[in-house]
Amino acid sequence: MKNSVQIGPSDTISAFLLFFIVHGAQIGVGIHGFQRIIYQDAKQDAWISVILAGLATHIIAIFMLKTLEIYGSNDLYGIHQDIFGKWIGNFFNIIYISYCSVAFFAVLRNYIEVVQTWVFPDLNTWFLTVSLLLIVMYAFTGGLRVIVGVSFFSAVLSIWLFPMLAFPMKFIEPRSLLPILDSDFSEILKGVHSMTFTVIGFEILYVIYPFVKDKEKAKKHVHLGLFVTTLIYLAVMLVTLTYFSGAQLTKTIWATLTLFGVVKFPFIERIEYFVVCFWLLIILPNLCLFIWSAFRGAKRLVKVSANKFVWLFSLIIFGVSFMFKTRPQINTFNDYYSQVAFYIVFVYPILLYVLAVAKKKFKSHKEQIE
Amino acid sequence: MKKCCVILLSLFLCVGLAACAETKLLERVGLVTLVGYDFGKEEAVETTAVVRQVSTELQSKVAIITAENATTQGTRAKVNNRAAEKIMSGQLRGVLFGEEFASAGIGHNIETSLRNSTISGAMLLAVVEGETRPMLEYPYPEIDDIGEHIYKLLKQNIASEQVVSSTLHEVAHDYYSVGRDVAIPLLNRDEELIEISGIALFRRDKMVGKLSVEDSFYVKLMRDNYHAGSYEMKLKGEDLPTSLLKDPPDEINVVFDPIKTRKDVKLVNPTTPEFDLHITVQVRLLEIKPNINVGEVKNAEELEKVIGTGLSAELSRVIADCQEIGSDVFGFGEFYRSSVRHSELTEEKWHAMFKEMKVNIDFDVTLLRSGIFE
Amino acid sequence: MSEKKSELASTQQSSAIESDHTGSAVSDSTDEFIQSVRDAVHNTSDLVVKSIPPNLTLFYIDNLVDNQTLKQHVLKELLKYPFQSPQYMLSFLSIPQVKLEGETGKAVRAMMDGTVLIHVEGYTQVVLANIPTTESRALSAPEMESQVIGAQVAFNESLSTNISLIRRYIKNPNLCNENLEVGKQTKTSIAMIFIKGVASEEMVNTLRQRITDLETDSALDSSILEQMIDDNSLSIFPQMLLTERPDKLCAELLNGKLGLIVDGSSLAIVCPHTFLEFFQSQEDQNLRWQIATFVRLLRFSAVVLSVFLTPMYVAALTYHYEVIPQTLVVPLSESRALVPFPPLFEALLLEMIIELLREAGVRLPSKVGQTIGIVGGIVIGTAAVQAGITSNILIIIIALGALSSFTTPSYMMGNVIRLIRFPLILVAGLWGFYGIMLGFCCIMIELLRQSSLGSPYTAPFYPPRLIDWRDSLVRLPLPFTFKRPSNTRPEDKNKYEPEPINPENDEQKVT
Repeated sequence: MKNSVQIGPSDTISAFLLFFIVHGAQIGVGIHGFQRIIYQDAKQDAWISVILAGLATHIIAIFMLKTLEIYGSNDLYGIHQDIFGKWIGNFFNIIYISYCSVAFFAVLRNYIEVVQTWVFPDLNTWFLTVSLLLIVMYAFTGGLRVIVGVSFFSAVLSIWLFPMLAFPMKFIEPRSLLPILDSDFSEILKGVHSMTFTVIGFEILYVIYPFVKDKEKAKKHVHLGLFVTTLIYLAVMLVTLTYFSGAQLTKTIWATLTLFGVVKFPFIERIEYFVVCFWLLIILPNLCLFIWSAFRGAKRLVKVSANKFVWLFSLIIFGVSFMFKTRPQINTFNDYYSQVAFYIVFVYPILLYVLAVAKKKFKSHKEQIE
Repeated sequence: MKKCCVILLSLFLCVGLAACAETKLLERVGLVTLVGYDFGKEEAVETTAVVRQVSTELQSKVAIITAENATTQGTRAKVNNRAAEKIMSGQLRGVLFGEEFASAGIGHNIETSLRNSTISGAMLLAVVEGETRPMLEYPYPEIDDIGEHIYKLLKQNIASEQVVSSTLHEVAHDYYSVGRDVAIPLLNRDEELIEISGIALFRRDKMVGKLSVEDSFYVKLMRDNYHAGSYEMKLKGEDLPTSLLKDPPDEINVVFDPIKTRKDVKLVNPTTPEFDLHITVQVRLLEIKPNINVGEVKNAEELEKVIGTGLSAELSRVIADCQEIGSDVFGFGEFYRSSVRHSELTEEKWHAMFKEMKVNIDFDVTLLRSGIFE
Repeated sequence: MSEKKSELASTQQSSAIESDHTGSAVSDSTDEFIQSVRDAVHNTSDLVVKSIPPNLTLFYIDNLVDNQTLKQHVLKELLKYPFQSPQYMLSFLSIPQVKLEGETGKAVRAMMDGTVLIHVEGYTQVVLANIPTTESRALSAPEMESQVIGAQVAFNESLSTNISLIRRYIKNPNLCNENLEVGKQTKTSIAMIFIKGVASEEMVNTLRQRITDLETDSALDSSILEQMIDDNSLSIFPQMLLTERPDKLCAELLNGKLGLIVDGSSLAIVCPHTFLEFFQSQEDQNLRWQIATFVRLLRFSAVVLSVFLTPMYVAALTYHYEVIPQTLVVPLSESRALVPFPPLFEALLLEMIIELLREAGVRLPSKVGQTIGIVGGIVIGTAAVQAGITSNILIIIIALGALSSFTTPSYMMGNVIRLIRFPLILVAGLWGFYGIMLGFCCIMIELLRQSSLGSPYTAPFYPPRLIDWRDSLVRLPLPFTFKRPSNTRPEDKNKYEPEPINPENDEQKVT
């Protein structure tokens, strides 16, 4: 392909790390309070929605990988340019760049909201924004190696959070899950749709794929990453459904954090205060990967250095962060964002695959004629 | 690159000096450890707060502050006006309700507590016979910190399975669930002592009745499984077969410890509704008066049977009592909801059904051992 | 970036050599040669010019040559066989290092190393007889990296002794020793040591390039050289290890690393080195693997504790009183009751006192130093609590932190652990747990950004190399750790061929 990504050997990453990248890009702010939203749709069968959403991510990932395999070593931006030509392709690229930026902002703003509600009601939004942006800048300017490293350590260092689920398990009532499949299928599907905000992030594949060293192994690790994420969501969902009673859950905004409230050690209790702050480490890969994929796209459009881009990007995000002040505003933003994300992440990849296959067929056909 | 780092660093320092969160220094805040709610004389709520304050004599002391207002958060501001240090509720360990207050409904208080991120879900709730204020203000000679004392009292009894657990989370769980009503320990002041006198039964958020400590065993039996509790029961002399004990007295006292229970509930008729309840109990015999030699297999089997019938008689009595006042603290509604597809159960629907509910009880008692001396 | 620097440096260095006016050939006339030597050393007063009539002249720097050897083996022989050509002298001078030199500049430079120049009238070559004084202290036990089990010998300041120490551990002709020279003024000789066939050729070239490209006045100590040649001199983290233990250096050489020994410095440089390896001691290899694993975990958790305990205390007491368990609330608040400062200042004050004590202990003579420790620790600590400027619980926490920071085997890394606490305490005092996490993320990213001689600093965790985890935070039994760490990119990947562990024992079990 003429516009494939040129990568030096030092920039490549081993396929094994895709596991951490996919996992790190998926888990972010969504897990704080996804239970309530899914429960509203699917009631006690919300866990089925989680499994189905997990399956959907696997299917979409297969489409993404197939599309990328057609092109060998090219990212989404190059594929766009190839399929749609320069102008329309670049138009799609701009849409995707904006999507990444909006995703970045969604993660940032939601996290700030949690911190402000839970720990520091009096800490300014602008301060939290700036501190997060500075950390992201610091990681971003280190290059892809550092960003992937952040994803890796973020996943590894957060493992301890998972066994903490054992503390709320003391209070669970497994009976709450019965009767299974009480909600009808359309409600469960609605729950799957509501999972969008929580499971997205793995579309980073589109951009990072050319950087993978041993591409034949990529599939395995991507799916493993998606599987583990689904497993974590499922475990959290099951504990939540049995820990809370129905109406209680619909009123609990960040159920996962409330779960942590019962964790108690001889030297520390109420660890949700610490966990909220610790979540900074978990959203860091989210932010870094989104800004990085936005940068990859911007680089295709205009010649821009990483330093210049990150400053400009941060300034814009900083400016936009003043527009959202209240919870209803943020909720509306989240709703719109997950609507758009649903089409970009779950619908568009299939379309793109079909187009890519058609283009390939057309091309080979033309070559045969010639 | 290097220049970039320097800019980052200096920017960060500037930001740091500009924005600094409000401090809550541990020794400069008054930590509320216990709150009691009653009806006020003039206004809706009277709050009695137990505040732990740290004085400069390296001794912490406890202040009891009372205030009245229309809302609980309003009383909080008033309590703050009367305290030397800023009042913080992050270390709140317990909330008490006066009996009258509880009868009027505690739903609003539960909701407000859940809304507040500083309040722990592990906080314990209790109802006080009479009013909370006299209980908290009484000068107990043996108790230094009334807040800590009541918290420990409740916690210890909950841990040893003497009384139902009543953390904020569990109470909220029952309050918001369709098929189970709230049950909260009941406290009583007996002169210079505070004791648990039973449990308060709720219907939705209103207290509608109470049970003695002995009867609350059956409520707990139905709600949770016992792992290490203990229980003393009375058997009627006439129930005992003569092979076990000739000329039995009117009452025979039996104490078990520890008890392990498992229950199996089956909905046999969804329309009435009717439940089959099968409970297996494994006990260690601690004391029996007058003494019966349970070392013999036959004797033990006989005794097991008698205990089983005794337990089921008591349980059906307690269930009937609760049915009368319409408080399903056992969670039969939860069993109903989870067994019937598309039940669309609502609170009103269930409470109507609960009154008509029938339960067939079957106990299966096993005496595991009886100590080191027969 | 380093490549650019290297190009620049190499051109400048070559021009410097050309401009050296002593680069001329040796004159055959004695007077002229005397003059040119005198000019080259600027008439230094310790230059000895000794004429042995009729045709010999000896030049040397006083005290740099061994007088005993000079008398016994040089002067005596020269007087015995006068009128000989320089070529013939090579054969009859009974000292090991004799050679001919035709260039005045090189001859003079050799003179600075303890060489006697013997000029014969009428010849354009001088004889260089190398008889340097061996003034160095005796080998002693290691001070900074003392161990209970293991060799009790440390490097000293003599390059040749140090190399001989290594040669005694690794008796292998593949052990390469390359001599390099650093410092326009000092001309310090540096030995680059590696095992050919084990160490990565690429890394050897990189390191050689970095040293030869150095454009500096001096490299008085290996620690200075380390700062000049590491990947990122601005970072707080050292990227190369300084060790005084020959056995440590040899173990690392066998892992495929490179060593540098600087003349006049008792510390050897080991590179590439990863962050985690700074917390490993050579003693871990000498102990049974269970104990070694325990000690390593203990040491690493001590570091984490040392860095994060005080900030946690500050954050919890300043902002997050909710997380303190009920049983701790009373003792904590009572101990804080009299303290007039917020926890941030209290902690900074106490940390400063500890650091002062430590610094004073290092600077003072060792006998007084011990007293300072006792006086400082007991007197100041108790007095501070009694005076009510600190809480006694904080004293325990700070002491624990200080104790933990001493467990780091590398002094350089220990210093980092010392220092890194202060910004963390500051951010904890400003923004509580959120500040701590900001600081933590900063440290993490900083670590990720570093590299050591081009290999990742955070190995073997990132990039993940599972096989290397066997000898990282834990140390598995030796039969499992047959691989050399892959971050050294060794030419020979295995230390030995893995074999089934204790096959005889298995057989015994069957019978």
